[in-house]
Amino acid sequence: MRRSIAQQSRTARVLGTAILGAAAALSLSLASSVLRPSSVIAAQEKPGATVVTIDNFSFAPMQLEIPAGTEVTWINKDDVPHTVVSDDHKLFKSRALDTDEKFSFTFKDPGTYEYFCSVHPKMVGKIVVK
Amino acid sequence: MNPFNIREALLAKHAQHVVLIHFPIALCMVGVAFDFAAYWTKRSALATAAYYNFTVAAIFTVPVVATGLLAWQFQLEGEKLKGILLQHLVLGVISSVMICIVWYVHFRSRRALEQRLPRYCLAMELVVMALVAVTAHLGGYLTGVNVSA
Repeated sequence: MRRSIAQQSRTARVLGTAILGAAAALSLSLASSVLRPSSVIAAQEKPGATVVTIDNFSFAPMQLEIPAGTEVTWINKDDVPHTVVSDDHKLFKSRALDTDEKFSFTFKDPGTYEYFCSVHPKMVGKIVVK
Repeated sequence: MNPFNIREALLAKHAQHVVLIHFPIALCMVGVAFDFAAYWTKRSALATAAYYNFTVAAIFTVPVVATGLLAWQFQLEGEKLKGILLQHLVLGVISSVMICIVWYVHFRSRRALEQRLPRYCLAMELVVMALVAVTAHLGGYLTGVNVSA
């Protein structure tokens, strides 16, 4: 009887250690997956960047200030297709961009250019050319 | 945008497809549930309810497919589709055709003297349910409902 109790307590200790270890590993993996995107976004939001990333159903940066003659490239990092279409539907219009596909446009004239994703009209962005 | 302006509401990008699609999905699911309930309980009223659910679901597939195709033409100017968009289109069309076939089997069986639904129809309904579920999943994924605000 005593032996079985001792065995049970040892099993409980082993199980407890295993559960704690699994929880710690899970926490670490979750923390790394949560922290990674923010560091990526911070790097992409450097002033003067000419790359707009499409991720998580939004354009980042949402507003970009650039000098005239700059080429802006949009990269789709989402798992679903997106488009980049100017508000007037004429100035620039990309085809449906799949994951990691790019679209570029050179802004020659100063002004404010608003654009959106035609598949998801709530996704909007703005380019200010000075 | 004024929500009570009919013109604005009808021309609101391609929102109609996203709104209308819920009707055939729900009607089809309820129709399948009624059919299985009718099979187990042997109550003809449940089979009748299933028939009418499939009837309205089949009717709704027409505007749903039409608005989906219009969205493709208007928003993507009919460009050649690939990836999830193509899968959603193909599965959507197959699902719609299958819903209409299920309705037709019901229609035929109700006109027959025995008025008994063939057993293969229940299996077909399960296939339709799976197709509709995958199509709806892809549609939801495309619209971004899985993305947190």
